[in-house]
Amino acid sequence: MASPQIATAGFVIEAGQDPVRVFEKHRAELIRSRLMMNIGMALLFLVLLAISIVVSRFYPDRLWAGLPRIFEYFGTVMPNLEGDKLFLARGADGKAVEGSILYWYSDLGKYLQLLFETILMAITATMLGAGMAFLLSFPAARNLAPARWINLIARRTTEVFRGVPEIVMALVLVFAVGIGPLAGVIAIAIHTAGALGKLFSEVNENASMRPVEGMRSVGGTWFDEVRFGVVPQVLPNFVSYSLLRFEINVRASSIVGFVGAGGIGQELNHTISFYNDDRVMAVLIMIVVLVTVIDLISERLRTRLIGRENLI
Amino acid sequence: MSEVPMRDVRSARAMTVSAGDVAALRAQFPDAFGNRRQQVTTGLLWGAAITYLLWSLWFFDFWKLFFFNERATRMFTEFFVWTDMAGWDYAGIYQGLAETIAMAFLGTLLGSLAALLIAFAAARNTMRNNLIRHAVRRFLDLLRGIDSLIWALVFVRAVGLGPLAGVLSIFVSDAGTLSKLYSEAIENVDRKEVEGVRATGASPVKVIRFGYLPQISPVFISLSLYSFESSVRSATILGIVGAGGIGKVLVDRFRAGFFDQVAFVVINILICVFVIDWLSGKVRAHFIGAKPH
Repeated sequence: MASPQIATAGFVIEAGQDPVRVFEKHRAELIRSRLMMNIGMALLFLVLLAISIVVSRFYPDRLWAGLPRIFEYFGTVMPNLEGDKLFLARGADGKAVEGSILYWYSDLGKYLQLLFETILMAITATMLGAGMAFLLSFPAARNLAPARWINLIARRTTEVFRGVPEIVMALVLVFAVGIGPLAGVIAIAIHTAGALGKLFSEVNENASMRPVEGMRSVGGTWFDEVRFGVVPQVLPNFVSYSLLRFEINVRASSIVGFVGAGGIGQELNHTISFYNDDRVMAVLIMIVVLVTVIDLISERLRTRLIGRENLI
Repeated sequence: MSEVPMRDVRSARAMTVSAGDVAALRAQFPDAFGNRRQQVTTGLLWGAAITYLLWSLWFFDFWKLFFFNERATRMFTEFFVWTDMAGWDYAGIYQGLAETIAMAFLGTLLGSLAALLIAFAAARNTMRNNLIRHAVRRFLDLLRGIDSLIWALVFVRAVGLGPLAGVLSIFVSDAGTLSKLYSEAIENVDRKEVEGVRATGASPVKVIRFGYLPQISPVFISLSLYSFESSVRSATILGIVGAGGIGKVLVDRFRAGFFDQVAFVVINILICVFVIDWLSGKVRAHFIGAKPH
C-alpha cells in the first residue's frame, strides 16, 4: 500500500492524484492523437487522389463521354445470332449462313491451332523456367550456397528475371529473334525462372538440414549434399509450385502475342485492331475457356499429387 | 556388465560388408534399394518429358536463338552502353512513371469501392439468395479470367488511347479480384458480434456498419494495398497496347531504336516497383500492426 506511484501501460499515477481523472486525461490524449493521425492520413490520401486525377487526366467529363462508348463497343462485338438459323450448316455455295454459330466461329480452325500453340508455349516455358529455377534455387538459398558471393549473384539474378515484365522481355526478344512463338517462350521462361527461383529457394531454406549434415559426415561433396540431402525433401513442393506457375503462364502466353510473340494473343490483337465485329467476342471467349479449363485441370493434378490436406 | 557393448564395438570395427551381406539386406529391405517398377516409371516419365521438350524446341524453331542478326547485337550492346544521356527526355520518362502510379492508384481505389458493394452480394452470409450470389460470382470469375492487358486493349478501342483506358482496365480487373477476396473476408467474420448488433434492434445498414465493417476493414485495407502493388506492376505494361503510362514511353523509345533509354526506363520501373512495395508494406504495418499478413 505504501507504493507512491502506480505505473501502467503509458501513464503514471502519482500519489494523491485521482486515478480516474488521470485515466480519463490519458484516454482523451490517445483519442486526440489517433484523430490527428487519421486526419493526416485522410489529407495525404486526398492530396494523392488529386495528383493522380490531374496526372492521368481522369476528369469526370472525359469519363462521362467515355462510358456510353464502352457499352456501345460491347454492343458491336456481341454476336448477332438468330434463333432460327443457329444450327444451320454451310449452304450449297460453301458459305456459312449469317446469324448461325458456324458463321460466328468460321475461323475456328485457326483459333484451335493458336490455342494449341498457346498451350505448348506455356508448357515449354514452364519446363525451361522451372529447370533454370531449380538450378538457381540451391545457390540462391542462404543455407546451401557454397559461398556468400555466389548467393548474392544468384539472388540478384532471380530478382532481375522476375522484375522485368514478360511482355517487355517478349518485345525485346521479338526484335532479336523475329516474330513468332520462340520469343514468347523464352520471355516467359526467363520470368518463370525468376519467380520460381525465389519460391524454390525459400523452400530450400525451410528444408531440414539434418540429411545435409548426414551427407557431409559421410564425406559427401556439395553436390551430394544437395542431391541426396535436399532434393528429395523439396521436390513435391517444387512440382506443386511449377503447376501453379503453369496456370499463370497460360495467361501470359495468351497475351505475349500482342507484341508478336506468338499464341492466341496475336489473333486477339489482330481482330480487335482491324475488325469491329463479333470475331472479337469469339476470340475472347476462347481465351476465357482456355484459362478456365487449364485452371481446373491443374488444380486436379495438384490435388492428386500432393493430397488435399497439404494444399495450404 | 560392460562385456556386451564392448563386444559390439569390436565387431563393428572389424566389420567389412561382403556381397552376401548386401544381398541379405536387399532381401530384407527391398524398397531401400530402389523399386524396379518405380524406377522404370520414373525413367519413362523423364524420357517423355525430355522428348517433348526437344520436340517443342524444334517446333518453336529454337535454332533461331543462335543466329542473332546484327540489329540484335546492336540492341544488346546499347542496353549496356548509354550514350548522349544529357539529351534524353527525362521529363517525359518521369511523367510516364507518375502517370503509371496515378493509373494504378485511381484504378485500385475505384475497384475497391466497387468491390466493397459487390462483395456483400457475393458472400454466403450476407446474400441469402443462391441464384443472385452464383450469378455475381460467375461474373467476377469472368472479370478475373481476362487479363488486365486484354481489358486495356478492349478499352483503348472503346474510349481511345490514353490513361483513361488504363484506369478502366485496372478498375475492372481489380474489382473482380478484390470482390472475391473481400467476400471471403466477409464470410469469415465472427457471427457473435454481428448478432450482438442485430440484437439491439439495429437496421441492416447499421448491422453492416457496426457488425461487419470493424472486423473486416483491416483485412480490406491490407488486401487493397496488395492490390495496389500488383496494379502498379500491371500498369507499367498497359502502355504497350496504348493505355498510357510508362509502357507507352518504353514502347515509343523501343520502336524509335533508343535502346539505351529503354534500359534506363526498365531500371526506373524496377526501382519504382520496389519503392512502392516497401512503402505499401509500411502503410500496411501501420493499419494492421507489424505482424505480416
